[in-house]
Amino acid sequence: MSIKADFQLDAKGLACPMPIVKTKKAMAELVDGQVLEVAATDKGSKADIAAWAETVGHQYIGTTEEDAVLKHYIRKCADDTVVEKTFEQTIDLGEIVGRDGLILDVREEAEFAFGHIEGAKSIPMGELPTRMAELDKAQEIYVICRTGKRSDLAAQKLAANGFTKVFNILPGMTAWTDELKKSI
Amino acid sequence: MSNKVAIIASNGGLFDAYKVFNIATAAAASEKEVTIFFTFEGLNLIHKQGMHALPMPAGKEHFAEGFAKANVPTIPQLVEMAQELGVKFIGCQMTMDVMGLTTDDFVDGIEVGGAVTFLEFAKDAAPSLAF
Repeated sequence: MSIKADFQLDAKGLACPMPIVKTKKAMAELVDGQVLEVAATDKGSKADIAAWAETVGHQYIGTTEEDAVLKHYIRKCADDTVVEKTFEQTIDLGEIVGRDGLILDVREEAEFAFGHIEGAKSIPMGELPTRMAELDKAQEIYVICRTGKRSDLAAQKLAANGFTKVFNILPGMTAWTDELKKSI
Repeated sequence: MSNKVAIIASNGGLFDAYKVFNIATAAAASEKEVTIFFTFEGLNLIHKQGMHALPMPAGKEHFAEGFAKANVPTIPQLVEMAQELGVKFIGCQMTMDVMGLTTDDFVDGIEVGGAVTFLEFAKDAAPSLAF
């Protein structure tokens, strides 16, 4: 299946170090939080892209492989300044298992595809304003992202639109050690 | 963690060139500050004419086909890319004097310096590499 990305880069047929050089250049066009898809045939690019993202501070989401074409997904991150999480109703990640409410995952579609909590619903942060109708105000909603930052904003947005049973899950998927569902 | 990568290029073959420029461009793309010090035969790698016809090691000429098939960029392309990514080239003044070369013989934008120029940059670089 295809995974949604904001930008696509075609690095097929290119040898090292070109996929990295092209990725660096393409990344400059993205704004924070957007996802870049890099298509490459250089098998070394899988390890290289992950290491590169780690070095420069972007989030390596994952890689798919189909017909000898690798597709790498990277999410652009800013220099991670600590943002205060202001939404007051929070819930510890360890406490959500077995609860009745809905786990709402507001990460990008690609991040969700490479691993999410079973049963979670995906609405990327940017789509939340137009997709709120899909949510039930009577139900408890636990909002999750990678670290708790986007989910904090999403929870505030929901609260501002009349949702009262909203909880921000802290810390986020980075601390999730249980089984991950994939949709790739 | 150091944000600098210091490279010494002291050999003038095609393989040497790839080692130097692949590492340099990859490091620069990873937002490192990269300086290459070209000395002795290493100066061939940025010589205006020389870099277009760098020799393969004796007996390894058959690799030429592999280079073409793997769609590896040419050395002049890598040189251009490295400079575009901000890699700094320093030519060794002493070697240039010995060989009777001037900055006009090399690609544009190189600096010329002695060993101390490089050592000053490399003193807090990690890694420092020699090829």
